[in-house]
Amino acid sequence: MEAIASLANGFMDLFRAGSETFVAWVTGIIPLVVIMMTAVNSLIKLIGEDKVNGVAEFATKYTITRYTILPVLSVIFLCNPMAYTFGRFVEEKHKAAFYDAAVSFVHPVTGLFPHANGGELFVYMGIAAGITQLGLPLGDLAVRYFIVGVIVILIRGIITDRIYAHMSGKK
Amino acid sequence: MYQAVTIKAGKGGFGGPLTLIPTEIRNKVVSITGGGIHPIAAKIAEMTGCPAVDGFSTGVPDNEILVAIVDCGGTARCGVYPKKRIFTVNVLPVGQTGPLAKFITPDIYVSAVDESCIELAEGNLEVKKEISSAPKTKEQAKAEVAKMNEGKPKNLATRIGIAIGGVVNKFYAAGRETIDITIKTILPFMAFVSMILGIISASGAGDVIANTISPIASTLPGMLIVSFICAIPFISPVLGPGAVIAQVVGTLLGVQIGLGNIPPQYALPALFAIDAQVGCDFIPVGMSLGEAEPETIELGVPAILYSRVITGPIAVLVAYVFSIGLYS
Repeated sequence: MEAIASLANGFMDLFRAGSETFVAWVTGIIPLVVIMMTAVNSLIKLIGEDKVNGVAEFATKYTITRYTILPVLSVIFLCNPMAYTFGRFVEEKHKAAFYDAAVSFVHPVTGLFPHANGGELFVYMGIAAGITQLGLPLGDLAVRYFIVGVIVILIRGIITDRIYAHMSGKK
Repeated sequence: MYQAVTIKAGKGGFGGPLTLIPTEIRNKVVSITGGGIHPIAAKIAEMTGCPAVDGFSTGVPDNEILVAIVDCGGTARCGVYPKKRIFTVNVLPVGQTGPLAKFITPDIYVSAVDESCIELAEGNLEVKKEISSAPKTKEQAKAEVAKMNEGKPKNLATRIGIAIGGVVNKFYAAGRETIDITIKTILPFMAFVSMILGIISASGAGDVIANTISPIASTLPGMLIVSFICAIPFISPVLGPGAVIAQVVGTLLGVQIGLGNIPPQYALPALFAIDAQVGCDFIPVGMSLGEAEPETIELGVPAILYSRVITGPIAVLVAYVFSIGLYS
């Protein structure tokens, strides 16, 4: 009888550790994320998609803005996956590069704007949880993640653009 | 001659039954399942007499798609086609989830489909026509109501009231969307990852991970290799769906950072190392959302996949440079 009881306890312990993690996440992460997401979602609804469209049309003209401002705006305002619809402002030959830039920003954006990709928060949150556990502030990491994200999507946009041009030239 | 088929939901599935009636234009069975024709797509193509197309390598204009076959775990693909009002068959048991959940309705979407769910459509297809004309009359009714209200002048108080109501409604809708995504995607993810983490730490497998992942993730060459592997063109589309793998690996790395096995400043390059494949599974769908031509998509898929092999490691290098001075 005791053997069975201790076996049952061991079995329960297997899940107790998980339940502690779960409670820590639900109480530690969800309240802040919910309030942030609600605030930014409200702001976006108040501004309206139409006003962003004007900026988007302007941003598509220059290489640098096409792979920085345009994808950043689209991801923040339309979120994953509707952000890619901003590809309609982009010339046909740049559409692949724009998609590459936009999709590469859906995780760097989550540090500061979790609403933009609520379904995939844990790429950032998972690593950030470790930083929190060490008692370090998250702001620095979130800001740097965002900045490096913008640099990376610019590089990615330009390189994909070149590769695409090379391939379509061959064809 | 094309055949109409009826597809119902499988065990644990959602939506349907859908009746697919191919026409001269709308007659492509498009398989968007990370490359290749899914057996379900092949089966539907065979029964309807329509061609099956690999949507990952070949672009198809939306108006030619009879049905889209997806293997989406619930993030994006399962909602994109229903939003465009294209019939969608998901081979995985996924219901109304993800950011586009509100478009996933039983009249356009069916999931958990296996071969036994597909049958030749029976009887008179005119029934279907009647159903599809029903929403139109509803819209007509709405238009009539709007027209009736148009003529009436509104006084100031009413207009202010409407304006305030509009703003409050937007806040409320924002809150509702947030809670929706929290319940439908964030909480389920937390539940499944905390279960895995719990089992790993309680069973002692955590030490194995600490001894294998930590040394790789705490050096620059290690992370460059990880990003390169994630970006290999035939691996990256497989790693992509829902960013589930990146999220689980991110969480495992977070645990190691918390334990002090990986220095905290490596968090930044690690975020890019585990994410070189981001969106590689979604290229044709994402580009078609941007209204790209089918030919553009055909070239765009390999262009992006090759580009990642170069830009994946570059991203890690940039992040490494920017991590200097972080948490020190």
